[in-house]
Amino acid sequence: MTGEHADLPQGTLDLLILKVVALGPLHGYAIAQRLQQISRDVVQVQQGSLYPALHRLENRGLLASDWKLTDTGREAKFYRLTARGRSRLEEEAESWRRLTEAVGLILSAEGEPS
Amino acid sequence: MTWLGRLLRGRRLERELERELRDHVERQVADYVAAGMGEGEARRRTRLELGGLESAKEQCRDARGTRLVSDLVQDLRYGLRVLRRSPGFTVVAVLSLALGIGANTAIFNLVDSLILRALPVSDPAALVRLDGSSWTNPIWEEIRARAPQLVESAAACWPTRLDLASGGEAQLVDAFFASGDFFEVMGVPAMLGRTLTRDDDRRGGGAAGPVAVLSYAFWQRHYGGAADAVGRTLSLNGVPVTVVGVTPPGFFGPTVGRSFDVALPIAIVDRLQHNSESWLDARSTWWLDVVARLRPTQTPEAATQALRLVQPQIREATLPPRWRPKDLEHYLREPLAFVPARTGLSEVRGDYERPLLTVMGVVALVLLIACANLASLLLARANARRQELGARLALGASRQRLARQLLAECLLLALPGAALGLLVAQWGSRLLVRQITTQEGLVSLDVSLHWRVLLFTLAVTLATTVLFGVAPALRGTGFSPQDAMRHQGRSVAGEGPGALGGPLVVVQVALSLVLVFAAGLFLRTFTGLATQDLGLDADALLLVSLDSQRSKLPAKELRALFEQIRDAAAALPGVSDAAVSVIAPVSGMGWNNNFRVQGGPTLDDKDSSAWVNAVTPGWFSTYRTALVQGRDVEARDRLEAPPVLIVNEAFVRRFVGTGPTIGRLVEREGRPGQQLPPLEIVGVVKDAVYRSPRDEREPTVYGPIAQLAPEETFPFASLAVRASSGSPALLTQPLAAAIGRVDPRISLTFRLLSDQVGASLMRERVVAMLSGFFGFLALFLAGLGLYGVTSHAVNRRRTEIGVRIALGADAAGVVRLVLGRVGLLLGAGLLLGAALSLWLARFVEALLYGLKPRDPLTLAGAGLVLVAVGLLAAGLPARRASRIDPAQVLREG
Repeated sequence: MTGEHADLPQGTLDLLILKVVALGPLHGYAIAQRLQQISRDVVQVQQGSLYPALHRLENRGLLASDWKLTDTGREAKFYRLTARGRSRLEEEAESWRRLTEAVGLILSAEGEPS
Repeated sequence: MTWLGRLLRGRRLERELERELRDHVERQVADYVAAGMGEGEARRRTRLELGGLESAKEQCRDARGTRLVSDLVQDLRYGLRVLRRSPGFTVVAVLSLALGIGANTAIFNLVDSLILRALPVSDPAALVRLDGSSWTNPIWEEIRARAPQLVESAAACWPTRLDLASGGEAQLVDAFFASGDFFEVMGVPAMLGRTLTRDDDRRGGGAAGPVAVLSYAFWQRHYGGAADAVGRTLSLNGVPVTVVGVTPPGFFGPTVGRSFDVALPIAIVDRLQHNSESWLDARSTWWLDVVARLRPTQTPEAATQALRLVQPQIREATLPPRWRPKDLEHYLREPLAFVPARTGLSEVRGDYERPLLTVMGVVALVLLIACANLASLLLARANARRQELGARLALGASRQRLARQLLAECLLLALPGAALGLLVAQWGSRLLVRQITTQEGLVSLDVSLHWRVLLFTLAVTLATTVLFGVAPALRGTGFSPQDAMRHQGRSVAGEGPGALGGPLVVVQVALSLVLVFAAGLFLRTFTGLATQDLGLDADALLLVSLDSQRSKLPAKELRALFEQIRDAAAALPGVSDAAVSVIAPVSGMGWNNNFRVQGGPTLDDKDSSAWVNAVTPGWFSTYRTALVQGRDVEARDRLEAPPVLIVNEAFVRRFVGTGPTIGRLVEREGRPGQQLPPLEIVGVVKDAVYRSPRDEREPTVYGPIAQLAPEETFPFASLAVRASSGSPALLTQPLAAAIGRVDPRISLTFRLLSDQVGASLMRERVVAMLSGFFGFLALFLAGLGLYGVTSHAVNRRRTEIGVRIALGADAAGVVRLVLGRVGLLLGAGLLLGAALSLWLARFVEALLYGLKPRDPLTLAGAGLVLVAVGLLAAGLPARRASRIDPAQVLREG
């Protein structure tokens, strides 16, 4: 838990969740852990907002869920990506890339004398 | 999972959410513990990171999108608990709403079935009728000949009653004569057999002879729904007619408010009635209603335009003979027009449209009062519940959420109110239809609840909920939680919050004054009419209508027949008096002529008209109409003797002028060119009712039946019989037998004159009864409202009053203190109500008799009644206030 924490831009939580789940079915706690690992602790998901986001995505049909037995011997709710979720992920990822490129371009532009 | 699935499986989702979050917590705690944290600390930290388990759950629930509905269910459940805690309030609220909504629905139901609902025919919107009361057959034939150029099609009809019996006491059925294509124009097919055809309606009769089409109801009643009814013979007015078909159940005929039993072709009208001149050719017998169906895109105006083009030909071809030139000129000029007839023809509608709409207004006001009453009750409760609501606000409920909660409680009152109201309405509209049904006119209306009525009830219910729910809901949440907790529902002085009850009471008092005023006007109208001096004694007088059309006697024998019947009736034991007249009083029938008294004032055309009746000797004593001067009609007044006349006092006042009355000669107007011998006045009688108790006593003349000219003799008359003791209704059997011995073909209808008078005042009676009932209800509700507000104010100001008493205020002072405010509210309400009453009064002018719509006496009386009720309602809490024990109050404080 060292280093700087960045706030997540609005709406990116959904994108990150979809990406993480795209790698394989995961339960809520694992998703939270994975998000932190991948982003090397820079992105800290407010756990309070993780579950509402998961439920929202599920209700929109982008995620599906199953209850499965886990290593701890308890059942956990595993989320997986649906076909709709996958195409949404691609769209969102693409538009994110375009956005960051554009932002990067603007930020790297040299100041021109007017 | 779909939205609906999520809504229905809410409980399972809730369990899964719980499990999922607990799983998360366990895993996190396990990880923290593995990383070396103590278990307690690990749990605390996990909760913190989740931002509180409950709040996380709430957000997940929001994500389901089923929030609104599940909250509503929760609100309703909570509301139910709250209402169950105060059953008294709940019962009063639901009942007053049920009465309000029920009364509105019942009246609206009548309005709907009488005024709004379209005829049960195909495309009723395309129907028009020829504007005006009724038309002669020649005019109808002219229109029929031109119909293809004017409109899609046209038809004519005439509702009447016919007798199934062939003599003795009549068995009347409702019939209408119709043109051959009537059913085609209406788009009503036969359910069995066929309807009428143009051939049936040919003069001289069609190939099938005289035919009749039955209504479904009559087919069921008379033939038990037998399939072979078609082809059977039915005797109507003694004439056999062949049944050719039955109409479908929904079709009640062209007249709303009446139902029909049989329909016959117009062409056979003279066979069923003994008319001195054929009605088919008569140019001044006005009897037919003319209806037409418009072409697909035609407007009534366009049809009228087309009609106006041919009007001169129609009028010229049908000029009545023997009319005075100025009447003929008027006949030619009067424009013909088509007007929409989507909702059919109805004389009942004309009679009841205005009273019904007035009563509709009355019941709407009652509902408003009930709403205001409930709103103030709810308001008082909202104030009492400030603490509870405050606690909920403090715990984080939104204002919107609380308002929703209060509205849900209103809905819980309104829905059972509406359901009960529908029951009240069903029962009420049946009762009302029975009330307005008389022997003469059976009112038959389809008052089963129609979709429009249900929609109306729903709308009223929702409007009610908003009306009485919104104010408390807004006020109920308009405070900060701190305020609510601090005040704890007590204040030391002043009204404090909740003063909105004041305006509500003012509105209630004002509306109640309007209703009590209206009730006063209608009650005074009715009692004025019912207790007026009719100029005759209607009690214990039996009327027998005699119809001797079937005897087919010449005029001379007809006059003799009526005298024989009179003598036969007078000879019966138990009969003290009997007499015959051509016109029965209060029967709605009338006969008039223009008169001039020699040596009397010259009157203009309109003023020289007087009512006419022809009577046998003893008629005035039978009716107990006092003879003022001269003599009654006597046996010696035969056709050969000099013609005599008896006049009433109103006639003397207008026609005779100065000089003696007895012995004066009266000229009457005959046809142009006809010179009638003058009549000598031999007697004067007191003014008596002629056509309707509502009419003023107008100039009337009475001649002997024995002196009637042949063209004035009709096969109808009325026998009046006064019983020497007991009920005259017991005389019907012996009378029928005695008359049958004179002539078995005469058709008889019995009724009591008092019933006839009562029936003629039925409209006033029903309006007075309804407005009286609702006025009383309004008064009661207003009293309840005043009591509630005063009592609430006294409770709030207990401490202040206690302090005042402790400081030496006496009981009277305290009562004055409490009543002062009530007086203010009452005064404001009365002022507002008086202004409203005076403004609304003009709408009921047409329903009043013998008093002005802005009658100050009635208004003052209504005001006094309200003041009395107000004092009574406020007096009880005021008395309670004066008995507050200061020691106790101060201890509590």
